[in-house]
Amino acid sequence: MKTQNKIKKVSLLVVLIIGALVSLFPFYWAAIGATNTSGSMFSKPPTLIPGSMLMENIRNLDESIGISRVMFNSLFIATTYTILALFICTMAAYAFAKFQFPGRNVIFTIFLLSMMVPYHATIIPLFKMMAALNWLNTYQAVILPNLAYPFAIFLMRQNLLAFPTSLIEAARIDGAGEWKIFFRIVLPSMKPALAATAIFLFLYQWNSFLWPLIALSTTDMYTFPVALSTLFGLSRIDYGQVMAGVTIATIPIIIFFLLLQRQFISGMLGSAVK
Amino acid sequence: MKKWWSATGLVAASAMMLAGCSGTDGGNGSSGDGEGGKTTLTAWAWNVNVGALNDAMEMYQEENPDVEIQVEDLGRLDVYDKLSTGLAAGGVGLPDIVLVEDDRIGGYATAFPDGFVNLSDMGFDDNADLFPSFKQELAQVDGSYYAMPFDAGPGGMFYRRGLFEQAGVNADEIETWDDFLEAGKKIKEETGAFAMPLDKFKDDPTFRMMLNQLGTYYFDENGNIDLTSDEAVMAMEKLIEFEEAELIKEVDGWNGVVSATVDNSVAAIPFGAWYYGTIIDQAADSSGDWGVFLLPAFEEGGNRASNLGGSSWMIPAGGENEEAAYEFLEYFSTTPEVQLVAMQDYGLFPSLNSTYEEELFTSEDEFFGGQKIWELFANQMADVETPYYTEDYAIGLDEAIKAQADAFNGMDPAEALKAAAERLAERTDREINN
Repeated sequence: MKTQNKIKKVSLLVVLIIGALVSLFPFYWAAIGATNTSGSMFSKPPTLIPGSMLMENIRNLDESIGISRVMFNSLFIATTYTILALFICTMAAYAFAKFQFPGRNVIFTIFLLSMMVPYHATIIPLFKMMAALNWLNTYQAVILPNLAYPFAIFLMRQNLLAFPTSLIEAARIDGAGEWKIFFRIVLPSMKPALAATAIFLFLYQWNSFLWPLIALSTTDMYTFPVALSTLFGLSRIDYGQVMAGVTIATIPIIIFFLLLQRQFISGMLGSAVK
Repeated sequence: MKKWWSATGLVAASAMMLAGCSGTDGGNGSSGDGEGGKTTLTAWAWNVNVGALNDAMEMYQEENPDVEIQVEDLGRLDVYDKLSTGLAAGGVGLPDIVLVEDDRIGGYATAFPDGFVNLSDMGFDDNADLFPSFKQELAQVDGSYYAMPFDAGPGGMFYRRGLFEQAGVNADEIETWDDFLEAGKKIKEETGAFAMPLDKFKDDPTFRMMLNQLGTYYFDENGNIDLTSDEAVMAMEKLIEFEEAELIKEVDGWNGVVSATVDNSVAAIPFGAWYYGTIIDQAADSSGDWGVFLLPAFEEGGNRASNLGGSSWMIPAGGENEEAAYEFLEYFSTTPEVQLVAMQDYGLFPSLNSTYEEELFTSEDEFFGGQKIWELFANQMADVETPYYTEDYAIGLDEAIKAQADAFNGMDPAEALKAAAERLAERTDREINN
């Protein structure tokens, strides 16, 4: 019985390790590419050891896109967006989960249905709107349009449904105002869910490409993905620069994830135990 | 907990304010008179073209000190996304100058008839003769110029001298595709290298170059579908002959072609002159091992001139600086010194005829074993036939690639092309030539 368990455990570990290696390899490949010359991406056998070109690739990349400026743009947009959207979506989700009002389910369904509208269909009307507001090429043109993000609302609502309504009622009887209940009683117990949603929102905005491309029009306003896209010419691509850029672009996501990781994982475990 | 949330609130509030403020320094992409009566032109272009445009402006400023340019560097396909959005929104947020590939000019000018400045009205027709005839035709829609010709991609077979020598093949003796087929077999036998690379199921550049060489394309000059012509069938059959002799290396997309170029697994790559830049960048350690010969003809003494790719400048209508943009672009397009800089520093092959008289075009290229490759490319420009792209080019391309995929999967080339022509007719409401 014991050995059987052990075999099970070992084989599970082997599968997990293989899975981890497979998912990590593209990142490794990108990081290696960042330290080698452009042509070495294509050599046979493939180059798998770090080269000495990292600093030069980063220097060239900086010359091409201005790393610090686009990094600031991306960080500012993604962080601001995450904070605002998390706030708005959580409040909306709380209303949908815990308040009784006429048309609640209809409105919620419409919200969910709006996820089915292809994003591309909204680009031109949105662009016209931003042009009318004279907001083209500004941060708010990228941040504001998607603040009420249906999936985030859905995610938070599902989590909030599990929150015991009796606690809210008890607080009301004790004379707490609605804001106080929301901030002091409901939110503190929602930290894992908030962390998960925050990661989701941050990733969404960080990776967002088409709308920032359309809405922003000068090089100094570009976000990281838009700036990276300028590296692709018709026939000349410096893969060393591209890989350096890709590697740098993943760092903030990793940091953000690590910061929220404890909350996030305890949230997943929590729901598993329940 | 309390602290956490009040901090969040603070950040949110300050973020709001910052977001509100940033509007002032952003500008809105459209141009206007700068301080001191200076005109600032705005432009969208990709990659090396950005540098060419900036350098040209510096030269232009010697005579016109009150003009400046701000070029936004965008990805090639990203330019089209932004241009289409701006045009569809009624001409908002567009630059004064935009770079457009030749195969898209007709599509844009037809879909947005008022979207671009008619250059003939501004007097461009007087300059037309400065360019090869196919570039002239590509820049016109319904007899009016909507674009100023810039770079081109005269075709050639970029080949590996080492592999050819090892197999005892002399590139100078290859005149027809059949010669190349025989040479390819020899090379494969001796070295194991394939004759050429091709993404059989996703792209058809070789087929397009062959069509261009044979004086046809997906469409003819009347806009009828020409995929069923004898020439088109002949071209596809030739490709299949190479496939049956196992001389085509299957690759995955652009990166696959580059990979095959670098790792010495193909003996030749049929492409436009712009591929020179890719080779010297990515295969930097193979200097001296390269050469170029013209695309082989289909019959002895047949046409060997071809072109793949190229782009031109367009001026979106309704900007404040239409006149200034036109004048600068006219200078850019018709001044040999500017074109020479674009060629020398950025590898953009010019289409302005007078540029070919410059010394560079008779000089030897070391990377290409001392061959006078630029002369070879330039000399064919006058003979290049016009590829008729039409506004349905993207659909034509889609169907032609499907036809190629069918043919490589074993379907008879003539039938595959006929089926593609019929699908194309259905999708575009065009007639099929018999």
